[in-house]
Amino acid sequence: MKPSTVIILDNGASTIKAGVVGVHNAQPRVITNAIVRSKGDKATYIGHELEKCRDYSSLHYRLPFEKGYLTDWDAEKAIWDGLFSQEVLAVHTAESSLLITEPYFNLPNLQNVYDQFVFEEYDFQSYYRCAPASLIPHGELYAITGLPTPECMFLIDSGFSFTHVVPILDGAIVWNAVKRIDVGGKLLTNHLKELASFRQWNMMNETHIVNDIKETCCYVSTDFRQDMEASHLSPMDNPIVQEYVLPDFSANRPGRVRRSGEALDEQSQVMYMNNERFTVPEIIFRPNDIGLEQSGIASTVAHSIGLLPEDLQGMFWANIGLIGGNAKFPGFRERLESELRALAPVDCTVSIHSPKDPILEAYRSGVAFAKKPAFTQQAVTRAEYLEMGNNASRRKFRDWKPAPVDTNKGAEQPSRKGPARPQRMDREESPPLTRQPSKGKGKGRATTARR
Amino acid sequence: MPPRRQPQRQTQAASSYLDPEVIAKRTKRHLDELEKSNYAEPSNALAGLEEDEDTPGGRSVKGKARQVVISDKCEWPGMPKKKSSHNVRTAVLYKKNLDKLVEDSGIATLPPEVPTYLRAAAPPPREPPRLTCSVCGYWGKYKCRKCAMPYCDLNCEGVHNETRCERRVV
Repeated sequence: MKPSTVIILDNGASTIKAGVVGVHNAQPRVITNAIVRSKGDKATYIGHELEKCRDYSSLHYRLPFEKGYLTDWDAEKAIWDGLFSQEVLAVHTAESSLLITEPYFNLPNLQNVYDQFVFEEYDFQSYYRCAPASLIPHGELYAITGLPTPECMFLIDSGFSFTHVVPILDGAIVWNAVKRIDVGGKLLTNHLKELASFRQWNMMNETHIVNDIKETCCYVSTDFRQDMEASHLSPMDNPIVQEYVLPDFSANRPGRVRRSGEALDEQSQVMYMNNERFTVPEIIFRPNDIGLEQSGIASTVAHSIGLLPEDLQGMFWANIGLIGGNAKFPGFRERLESELRALAPVDCTVSIHSPKDPILEAYRSGVAFAKKPAFTQQAVTRAEYLEMGNNASRRKFRDWKPAPVDTNKGAEQPSRKGPARPQRMDREESPPLTRQPSKGKGKGRATTARR
Repeated sequence: MPPRRQPQRQTQAASSYLDPEVIAKRTKRHLDELEKSNYAEPSNALAGLEEDEDTPGGRSVKGKARQVVISDKCEWPGMPKKKSSHNVRTAVLYKKNLDKLVEDSGIATLPPEVPTYLRAAAPPPREPPRLTCSVCGYWGKYKCRKCAMPYCDLNCEGVHNETRCERRVV
């Protein structure tokens, strides 16, 4: 088969990062993963069409994702149709291959629907599906000139729906140590919406505006106690308070932070951002503060590393990487570093890699992966799908699947260097994280879904 | 009569402090609210978008509400209209919420050593929650005796009582 066009689709719950390998290598198209109704415009925008929106007040969102998982396929299909069409990527899906991301621990029944859409609706030639973190080892995040990519990586993916801590060993996710905190950008925006609506302006219907306020004003405090005291001072000598000038869509003026001494006209409405600036992102570090009974991000990292083979733990502490939109909060990395330093064993180095753009990192790594022969080898082809149905991807993809425990195969994991593999892992590890795809094809195990 | 006073005090205490279960319920409800995509969800969230564009009366013979399929309505340049397969059609037409999907997936029945969505939540926190004033956001030193929301001073207590106090939380 001649090499076909490869499309990368980092299908986030908030934005889709998509592009064609060779065309959008560094800069994908970023489109909203939602169907949005604007009252002011009296129009409905599907995915990429949101760019045309003029009036961002009181938008009504229909999101294909619920709590991080793809549940509304009708909405998603409308958005994907638009994405593949002339209006955005202008690709012939039947003559292309696809690399698509799925949520961590995607449900097996949902994985089947992914397969069905890819092969039955869009007729892709072949496709590969994995969690965003699986792509990162192919990217530049851990690249230091002169050094090989580390064997152990510890990724923190803090996105729109939730935050995951993901250890990666030799390029494969160690699923039994992956942990989830149910705090993501959506929760933070909604929390800020509540605070602002109670304290100042009613913004309960202004998701878009409040999200912009969050992205503009919020930061992660490196000293919560001190910032709290500072924010309690009078506005004159309060270093924290900012005035956010709310947007005026009738005058086509976007929202912004008021510069000191800047004069405002009478119609401008101002929202004061004081302790809201740092108490909102704080929830990622202390979910308990809003009553969510989960550890903060630092303790969860420590917990997860504790589940890994002891002799490798130090390597994980030294190779922490940040991806996902929340990593863009100023101070996020500094705060995380200081909290992790306090939790790590004294003789361990804690070092955090943060990409230039944490939102695009998975996409860019995906581009690098798609160029490797491994992509073609591991992808499921349409012919394989037609032969084996959903079993094709279940057998071939290296990512999470609810495979029955098959301890014998765990031993033949590829490319473990050195004999230092501790016993503990062998026993505790859930089903083989990697399966050699070549075997077992058509050995009579394709019991379901032949069509 | 000293023995009589004690039970009296106890009943008073019981009425002014809230059942932790009630508070847990309130917290749960609040967390669910933080998951919403829109604050004001119309009763039929899917139909809400379409109502103003559709002609009424499009009900099927069986009396089922008409299927609102937004993906059918859009036509994009360069995307051929095609008949979707049965599987795709089913996924598009019958939306299931996450709880139902988790139930259907059968991941709950997998052996405990298999990591799944259900077993991946972060461990419970070690530190107690820090209370911040539900009115202004400063440290919440005091708690409302009626609804257990924290506040920081007399001023905020006044605001709380006027606007926010739920008195009894259900």
